[in-house]
Amino acid sequence: MTAAQRILILTGIALIACTMVFGVGYALLDEHQTLVGMGTQMATGFMAASSGDMESAYAALDAYGALTQEYRNEVHSHGHWGMLSLILIVLGLVFDRLALSSGQALLVACLLAVSTTLFPLGVVLQIGPAAGIGKLLAVAGAMGMVFGLLMTVYGLLKSPSG
Amino acid sequence: MTQAALISLENQGPLESDSQRVLAIGGILLVASGMLFGEVFAMFVLHPNNARIGEAMYAAAQLIPAGDAEGILGHFMAIGGFLENRGTKVDTHSHIIHMGYIALLLAMLQPWVALSAATKKFTAWLFVASASLMPVAIFSIHYVGLAYSPFELLGWGNVLADLFGALLAVAVFFQLWGLWRYGTGQAELEPSPTYFSSGNGASRTLLVGGLLLLVAGFLYGAGYAAWTQTSTVSSEVDILKDIVTHAAGAQQALLDADFGAFGQLQMYRAINVAVHTHINEMGILLLLMSFVQAFVNYHEVTRKRWAQLAVLSGFGLPIGILLEINFGIIGSIVADFFGFTMIVSLTAMLFGLLRYTGARDAQKGERS
Repeated sequence: MTAAQRILILTGIALIACTMVFGVGYALLDEHQTLVGMGTQMATGFMAASSGDMESAYAALDAYGALTQEYRNEVHSHGHWGMLSLILIVLGLVFDRLALSSGQALLVACLLAVSTTLFPLGVVLQIGPAAGIGKLLAVAGAMGMVFGLLMTVYGLLKSPSG
Repeated sequence: MTQAALISLENQGPLESDSQRVLAIGGILLVASGMLFGEVFAMFVLHPNNARIGEAMYAAAQLIPAGDAEGILGHFMAIGGFLENRGTKVDTHSHIIHMGYIALLLAMLQPWVALSAATKKFTAWLFVASASLMPVAIFSIHYVGLAYSPFELLGWGNVLADLFGALLAVAVFFQLWGLWRYGTGQAELEPSPTYFSSGNGASRTLLVGGLLLLVAGFLYGAGYAAWTQTSTVSSEVDILKDIVTHAAGAQQALLDADFGAFGQLQMYRAINVAVHTHINEMGILLLLMSFVQAFVNYHEVTRKRWAQLAVLSGFGLPIGILLEINFGIIGSIVADFFGFTMIVSLTAMLFGLLRYTGARDAQKGERS
């Protein structure tokens, strides 16, 4: 196993373990409450409107919107971490087939590993006060993934077909 | 068989050991059946259910002028039921496919899992059996409900789904432990399995196609995220505020327009998420299938044709979903067609693998 393969596979396994822990903790401590909160806030908005209290209705619907955004970011973060980790492991298995020098392969592997870690982190950080940093990390992570994947395709296309 | 002998055997081919066969064939069956379930689910549950949710919300809005809070709550309770029906179907569909992916990946990793042959075979069966039963339990959640349940909030469907999920985690952690033992030198080290570098034309086609799909998935996701951040189109909350405002003022024509806008927004969002998800899912599927191509027992030309069909289907399915925005049912037909061709190519590859294992077993039999 080359150094690049080791980085990809071990980072993938470590991130899968992290996302499983994140997923279990999230499902037990937060998801159910968030979903119930979303339903309650929307129903409250409609019921407040039926009693003529439009201010409360709008406030409840704003709260529904905030909870929905939070839920989406949390689920996206969990889902992306899991799937990107899977991709890292799969790429790790074929990285020795790429027509890249060991230095280039190592750089691309590091880029993919860092991007896989940062992109979902950026998504989940957008919930809290560090939303600006979160957006920055998510954009940087996405660009890193695209560049890393394109380099992998290039390496594959340059490799002799066997 | 000793661990070293087993690892050496698995290095020669991806289907040489029992655990590899169970995981590889079980994985493909899971992916194919998950896709088939998705086709049926989209046709018979997803679309009718979305219509029911819209109707219930519309009915709730009609009760606002009369101040009928109880009636509104009743409709929202019904919406909760529809959402549960939809959610459990989506979960069933995605869990079958994702478990299939993990099974395929574990099959490829077997040479690096430093455990005894018996333990590997047992954990492989445990994984495939749990992965097959967990989606059944998830599917039953909506129908079984709380019947005969000793718990206040959890039904037997939830309990069984959690149980099979825990068994899956046990099987995966055994595999990770084996990988850890290998990585820390507690087992005899071998070079990378030979089949990872025994690429052929079909394998390369699937790898390149899969990676390009993943790049497309990232670009699509980024584009959609940028559009939602900068778009001037009314947000969901804005439309909901319009709905309650116009309902309270008994402005029926405006209320109808609001519901039209709400339905459009939900459809647009659902389709975009589905496109992004399916691009990535197809990409990962193609990457995983690339590993077994050297052992799909067909002529190289035939094998490459099935791989090309899989790549074409991988691109065609999300494009069909995207077409639903402007062309409705025509887009659905395109998506279903490419979903079907993907199932056909996967099934063909599965038969190729079965031909390979049969041929290998026959060779062994002749030798002995």
